[in-house]
Amino acid sequence: MSKFLLRSKFDRHILFEWILHTTMLSFIRHRCSWPLGLLCVAVLAGCGSPEAKFRRYETFAKKTGGSESPRTGLPENQWRGIDEALAGLFGTPDQPIIPAVENVSLVLDQRKLERAAGPVHSDELWVGMGLYREHCAHCHGVTGDGNGPTAPFLNPYPRDYRPGWFKFKSTPLGAKPTHADLKKILIDGIPGTAMPSFKLLPEEEVEALVQYVKYLAIRGETERRLIVLTNEELDEGERLVSFDVAHKSGATEAEKEAAQKEADERFAEQLEMIKETVSGVIGRWAEAESAAVEIPQRPAMTREELVASRQRGRDLFYGTIANCAKCHGDSALGDGTTNDYDNWTKDIIDPGKPDTTQEMINQYVALGFPEPRPIKPRNLRQGVFRGGSRPIDLYWRIKNGIEGSPMPAATPKPEDNPFAKGLTPNDVWDIVNYVYGLQFDPLSQQPQGFGNPLVKTN
Amino acid sequence: MGRFWSILFLLVPIFGVGVFLWAMADWWPMQGHWLPENINDYGHVIDNLFYFILIITGIIFVGCSLALFWFLWKYDAATNTEPVKYSHGSHTLEVVWSILPAAALLFIAIFQLNAWEDQKMRRPILNSGADGIEGTADDVLRPPLVQVTGRQFEWRIRYAGKDNIIGTEDDILTVNDLHVPYGEDIVVQIQSMDVLHSFFLPNLRIKQDMVPGMKQFVWFRVREPNVNNAKAQKYDIVCAELCGWGHYKMRGRLTMESRQDFDRWLASQWDEQNRAEFKLTSSAESQ
Repeated sequence: MSKFLLRSKFDRHILFEWILHTTMLSFIRHRCSWPLGLLCVAVLAGCGSPEAKFRRYETFAKKTGGSESPRTGLPENQWRGIDEALAGLFGTPDQPIIPAVENVSLVLDQRKLERAAGPVHSDELWVGMGLYREHCAHCHGVTGDGNGPTAPFLNPYPRDYRPGWFKFKSTPLGAKPTHADLKKILIDGIPGTAMPSFKLLPEEEVEALVQYVKYLAIRGETERRLIVLTNEELDEGERLVSFDVAHKSGATEAEKEAAQKEADERFAEQLEMIKETVSGVIGRWAEAESAAVEIPQRPAMTREELVASRQRGRDLFYGTIANCAKCHGDSALGDGTTNDYDNWTKDIIDPGKPDTTQEMINQYVALGFPEPRPIKPRNLRQGVFRGGSRPIDLYWRIKNGIEGSPMPAATPKPEDNPFAKGLTPNDVWDIVNYVYGLQFDPLSQQPQGFGNPLVKTN
Repeated sequence: MGRFWSILFLLVPIFGVGVFLWAMADWWPMQGHWLPENINDYGHVIDNLFYFILIITGIIFVGCSLALFWFLWKYDAATNTEPVKYSHGSHTLEVVWSILPAAALLFIAIFQLNAWEDQKMRRPILNSGADGIEGTADDVLRPPLVQVTGRQFEWRIRYAGKDNIIGTEDDILTVNDLHVPYGEDIVVQIQSMDVLHSFFLPNLRIKQDMVPGMKQFVWFRVREPNVNNAKAQKYDIVCAELCGWGHYKMRGRLTMESRQDFDRWLASQWDEQNRAEFKLTSSAESQ
């Protein structure tokens, strides 16, 4: 493992912890074969880890920040203010806490979070703890920034939770995913990416992990907002939730008291702002639970009607309203528009813009930003649908669009105006039927005839 | 030091054989270290081969170790006063110890042929074709019930569905969760989507590398569980070829059930796969 890939000392320790766990604990916990487990303990003893820490959101601060701290966006003093505010609200990777705001219990559950947080270990009842670092952190990172030690090997990159955008969900663009949406991704995985299925984990472990993903997303989005707040609301160099009171030399008691009072007011005001910021983020997550888009029943069809529906879907695919072919290509191979970038990239720096130089990109890469890669429209002929291949999954993708990607939401067509531009639910179903059927098109089939020459095939 | 080294070397075969016997006896703390339960009707062939080879190699191992011990003991420098003798070797002896292992290997190679063909070539048939004779070219082979595709790092599973053809619209898709009915010949088509994986079902004594670009078949028949243990049984599917950094995540589950339960399960998967309506009221509990 080269030094280049393991960017920090901590990365190396995550990897160690991960190896230690997957060898030793899997022997001990799952196989009840402690002689082998003890052997691993003996071999790997002494590889203790330093305490895990959340990484600062430097790429975002650099992009939004002023010019006085060009490297990491904010001066150290202001970073400390944000660190402290976040630690007060969310705790640490080993000891997460739930911010004490209204409605938080609708979104987060302290006990489940604790199950997923912390280093990988078993408690006194042999219950597996530290699930996030066991299963997720080596790709998604301790901070949930999609920047774990194995992340550079993957294409697409692991998701960075911090902006709070999730692709495969039942809610409209801009809304958060529901709990069930995230759970489905954990259980089914994302075919076509490195995200595997965690179907065989017990229900309560999946629940704990979904909670922890939400926690990291909420924490990350709060960090973004606090960075913006620091930039916009605070004086230059002023620190968030600062206790410091500046006294002029030779100030009288009354002046000191007045300064103290002013500082206290400022402190209370900032505290209120921070609280509002967090409740804003959490409120959006709470709203999402009832924001899933309903899907009307797909019309029942005979074989002939299905063929006709697919033909209508095909017309829409190539037509000017849906115009799927623009990005997905004339043969739906995903080769229409291949030079666009996803929002996780464009949010920080858009390599597609003519004035973006490689040097600018490198500055972000030095802060842990993944080397930008263009986003590929899906090849629809493979039958691999990342967000699931059930009819309702495809319907949601077309109807709602895909968050963070160039895939737009369908414009609904008003019922009363047949001439308006847009798609009716049945139009969307036609496209779903067409797109789902593409994998069975003769053009999509792999060349046949290969196989084991020793085995007869029918 | 005298006899120390000879005794130490004597401990090697004793300890080696001891560990094996201990594990076979399932004694503490070696429980569960010997072969896992075999649930495949054809699995005993593999087990018998394993024991056969284990016994041959065990005898040779013990013999070699004892010979080593004997030399160490007899020619111990501390007790031996005779001068060293130089030998030009024995031609006969060299021929014997070359030919004997070669013959043993050749014997094993021929002895296992039948097991190999059973595992890799004689795929179960549906019927014996027009001529009514099994083993002829017109036999109709049993089509695969399910296709398992290894992918970094999971098992993508595709049931052939009602038409018994994989790759058609009535296929049933799932991941990591393989169900099969017991008491029937099951053919599984295996392939890899990316790198070399190995489809390993320890309880069925099946292990086959999935080679990218190759379509291969494995088959088995799960023994019917006895009446006391009639409920569905679950076993491991693991990847036995280091396929990347997430190799350890490639764990699947094999569920054995009666044909009736299997059909019911498959139908429920099919219904879920075809969910074409979503109402908000039901979203809270299940999606």
